[in-house]
Amino acid sequence: MSQPADQSSKHTQPSTDAIYKRPRPLKRRNVLTRSSRFGPNMTPMVDVTLVILIFFMASASIGGLEWFLQSELPKTQDPDLQSSGYSLPTPMISADLFLQNRTVMVRGFGDQPSTIDVVVDRIKGMDPSDAKGFILGIRAQDDVPYEAIVLLHDAASLMEMRVAIR
Amino acid sequence: MRSRSIISNEGAGARINVTPMIDVVMVLIVFYLLVGQLAVDRKAQIDLPASATGIEQTQEHDPIIVGITVDGQVSINGNHIDNARFAGEIKGMHTRSPRTPIQVRADRDAAFGVVRPIMHQIRDAGISRAQLATEQQP
Repeated sequence: MSQPADQSSKHTQPSTDAIYKRPRPLKRRNVLTRSSRFGPNMTPMVDVTLVILIFFMASASIGGLEWFLQSELPKTQDPDLQSSGYSLPTPMISADLFLQNRTVMVRGFGDQPSTIDVVVDRIKGMDPSDAKGFILGIRAQDDVPYEAIVLLHDAASLMEMRVAIR
Repeated sequence: MRSRSIISNEGAGARINVTPMIDVVMVLIVFYLLVGQLAVDRKAQIDLPASATGIEQTQEHDPIIVGITVDGQVSINGNHIDNARFAGEIKGMHTRSPRTPIQVRADRDAAFGVVRPIMHQIRDAGISRAQLATEQQP
């Protein structure tokens, strides 16, 4: 009857030599080292700092970054006429936006009104050196979404045109 | 008070120290709460339109931020304001600091009929330029 008890005690209590000869592939950090007894424990602070750093980096890349389109708010037809009385007026293109069958149309580019996508392509197809001197005056009906104005503004800014919203 | 110690003679080597994890979790919770609340207050739930061009914000002056939501609610620097009081408020701010830039943060789905009166009031306050806030197109 005492035979099984002896076997189990052999399995549960290995000799101290066997413990120290056990292979250790990686060196483990030991919290019981003598140096850890003194000074503050920096581990939590380092953890928190790293987590916040990673969070900021991730949120900066995921969240949409913002920037700004410069827009003029002229009182007169030509913004240049406000500041300089004698200079030649800057060439101005007027774009009138309106909705037709829930599609944003633009009047002022060509004889017939065109969709805003066509007008955006036309603006982007202009010669940059010519377009740079122009002012694009944007006027829109009440029901036109603000996004369409920004779309047109963006295309004009790409060609380094000045934009005035009226 | 009894101080916590990571050094314990009673089998401390076999335990996992959870103090850093608790610290991190608590900090994250507080951080999310604060940032979420601040973001909601400041941006007033405005979906900005996207643009492929734009200029970065200059840090010379803190701008006057005019927010316009999709349903036409107007705010100045995150504080809601009646449309009737807007013109006087923006004129006063511009008079006090004429070099402060104006940023217009209007919702992409807002009708231009909502945005135009605000822009005209900004213009009538003597401001000839405004910065339209957009999201950078990827």
